[in-house]
Amino acid sequence: MKAVYLDHAATTPIRNEVREAMEPYLSESFGNPSSLHRWGREASAALEDARATVAEALGAHSREIYFTRGGTESDNLAILGCCGFMTTHEKRLTLVVSVIEHSAVLDPAKLVTEQQGIDLVTLSVSQDGILDQEPIRLALESGPTVVSLMWVNNETGLVFPVPEISSLVNELGGTIHTDAVQAVGKIPVNVRESSVHLLTASGHKIYGPKSTGILFVRSGVDLVPLVHGGGQEQTLRAGTEDVAGAVGFACSLQLAVEEQQQLCKRLTALRSVLERSLLEIIPGLRINVQNANRASHISSIAIDDIDGEDLLAALDVEGIAASGGSACESGSTQTSHVITALYGEETSTATVRFSLGCETTEQEIEQTIIKLTRIVTRLRKLGAAS
Amino acid sequence: MSGGVDSSVAAALLVEQGHEVVGVTMKTFCYSETPDHSKTCCGLDGISDAKRVAAALGIPHYVFDVEDAFDRDVIDDFVTQYAQGKTPNPCVRCNGYTKFRDLLSRGRSLGCDVIASGHYVQIEHTHSQSRILRGHDAQKDQSYFLWALPHTMLKSLLFPVGNLTKEQVRDHAQAQGLVNANKPESQEICFVPTGDYRDLLRERLGEPHPALQTGHLVRRSGEIIGEHNGYAGFTIGQRKGLGGGSPEPMFVLSIIPDTREVVVGTRAELFDDIVIISGLNWLGEPIEDGTETLVQLRYRAPTVLARVSHERNQIVLRLKEAQAAVTPGQSAVLFDQENRCLIGGGTIVSAHSSD
Repeated sequence: MKAVYLDHAATTPIRNEVREAMEPYLSESFGNPSSLHRWGREASAALEDARATVAEALGAHSREIYFTRGGTESDNLAILGCCGFMTTHEKRLTLVVSVIEHSAVLDPAKLVTEQQGIDLVTLSVSQDGILDQEPIRLALESGPTVVSLMWVNNETGLVFPVPEISSLVNELGGTIHTDAVQAVGKIPVNVRESSVHLLTASGHKIYGPKSTGILFVRSGVDLVPLVHGGGQEQTLRAGTEDVAGAVGFACSLQLAVEEQQQLCKRLTALRSVLERSLLEIIPGLRINVQNANRASHISSIAIDDIDGEDLLAALDVEGIAASGGSACESGSTQTSHVITALYGEETSTATVRFSLGCETTEQEIEQTIIKLTRIVTRLRKLGAAS
Repeated sequence: MSGGVDSSVAAALLVEQGHEVVGVTMKTFCYSETPDHSKTCCGLDGISDAKRVAAALGIPHYVFDVEDAFDRDVIDDFVTQYAQGKTPNPCVRCNGYTKFRDLLSRGRSLGCDVIASGHYVQIEHTHSQSRILRGHDAQKDQSYFLWALPHTMLKSLLFPVGNLTKEQVRDHAQAQGLVNANKPESQEICFVPTGDYRDLLRERLGEPHPALQTGHLVRRSGEIIGEHNGYAGFTIGQRKGLGGGSPEPMFVLSIIPDTREVVVGTRAELFDDIVIISGLNWLGEPIEDGTETLVQLRYRAPTVLARVSHERNQIVLRLKEAQAAVTPGQSAVLFDQENRCLIGGGTIVSAHSSD
């Protein structure tokens, strides 16, 4: 029995092209980009090449790309850095987020609210996946406002209309950040066309190395740094640059953007087989935000009358890797804040997230359907007996 | 898998025997709220050790969050018993409820047929019945803690280290290169990370609770001979140093929650031969009313012969020889006449002397 990995929204393996691109910078070309000698020059050139590649893939200028330690750091830098700068110039500031943001946005948002007295507005999302946008306009009209909305939700695949909201924010003079960690490579992501001010992307969700990512910062947007020291990354992110990581990230991003359309088509077809079959076979099953605009790689499924922890463990025993809400919350059985925000507390309902990737096959989807059906039947029978 | 060496070796042995093994660590309470969790077996260090061992053995490993059930079935009972002036035995509760009953039902959802643990007891399965026998290593034997298991579960249990000595278990762990081969034994109560259970009582009962209030130290005659600062801090048989120096050592004889009195007396006064128990549980066929069998009244204590009978809705153990410090809340565990097979047990309600 071959194991089936359907947890690509948690992380992905490093693809060969990326590994090969990184290899020289893990060995012979090990220089510090800040050094003046040839080792340093070599590293610096590679770093700037990587930056240019990233900029081109996202429709940005090179100087607008800042390498970070990944999605969480980029989100923190965007929220804390932007609010931190603005509160030194503005008396009042409003931060608008949605209730289903990643905790890498929600936690810093809570922090600035508590520490800097910023007004926090949390947008609700309906069961159909419709974001309540009205408060955004109200906030923008009442004063300086920062908006942070994820482009693609990591637990459900729900796509927010970021370009549309971004136009509104630009029109009314606000600042908008988007966490595009799950969007890059899955839907078209272009900072110029979407006119966002800040954008987070991460490497390991797109077959790049872990602990790599960028924050796009549109020219003219000011942030205060979170990490201080040697002045790297135009003083916004001190610390010797991870050249191999930057090169790997750039390579993975370039490929992800190039292959996006084709991958999306394939995954949409696979996911539709998965979802249609499950809906047909298993009673008491719901596809979360099924009819909303969703990225093609994520399927969030709610199944009545079973325990989520048991379901995930049973799937794993059968060789199928999936996750509850988000992988970050594993080890805890707390119901995901995203699912709760959408559907309320559902005590006897399990949520399982399958997330598909490049290497997912039709056979794997079939296997998943068969095994999930078997497990749900068993768990329901045991549940009814006890 | 607690992360300790016993359950790790139990898992290793099962893998060697060709079983399809799934490792599980039960997360029994919220470690993040406790400043110092490293010492306890099921703390976060325990979980990560269990994960590393499982990975080394090539078996899956899951953490099951059983906090709510553990809190209800074990910690609540622990607190209630102390509030009633008794000395609870939480490991018995945990084995009877959380560790086996709940785990088996969770295990079934993974498709598991059997629960195995690292307890030092042996189990004998024949076609007609299953019996728990004392562990091969008399020093480590843990059968005392297993009397409260539902007897219908016995057929679904395995104790792979029960026929080994602790030394053999450690040797085996070392030979396998398990990370916890030399990990020290955990002794304290796993949900009392501070090491002082009274901290937990203060937190759960609230400071004004009578069990934590000052009261009188009295003799059996009623004579007040001193003060104490909360009867929950005492257990029967505990030696009590008395201010002013008394001519002979004094021991706690009983605790009277209603009056908050702690009764002390001489060692001679500690001996009882009639023990009332509750919650009697048989692990096989009940023995005939009024017959004799062996009873163990404390962990590691020697057994004594006792006649077990129902008298006026009570279960009474008449001990052949009076025993010191028979403690309400602790377990009276019944073994067969050969002192080999665990046949049942109950919780001590009270004890007195027939004299």
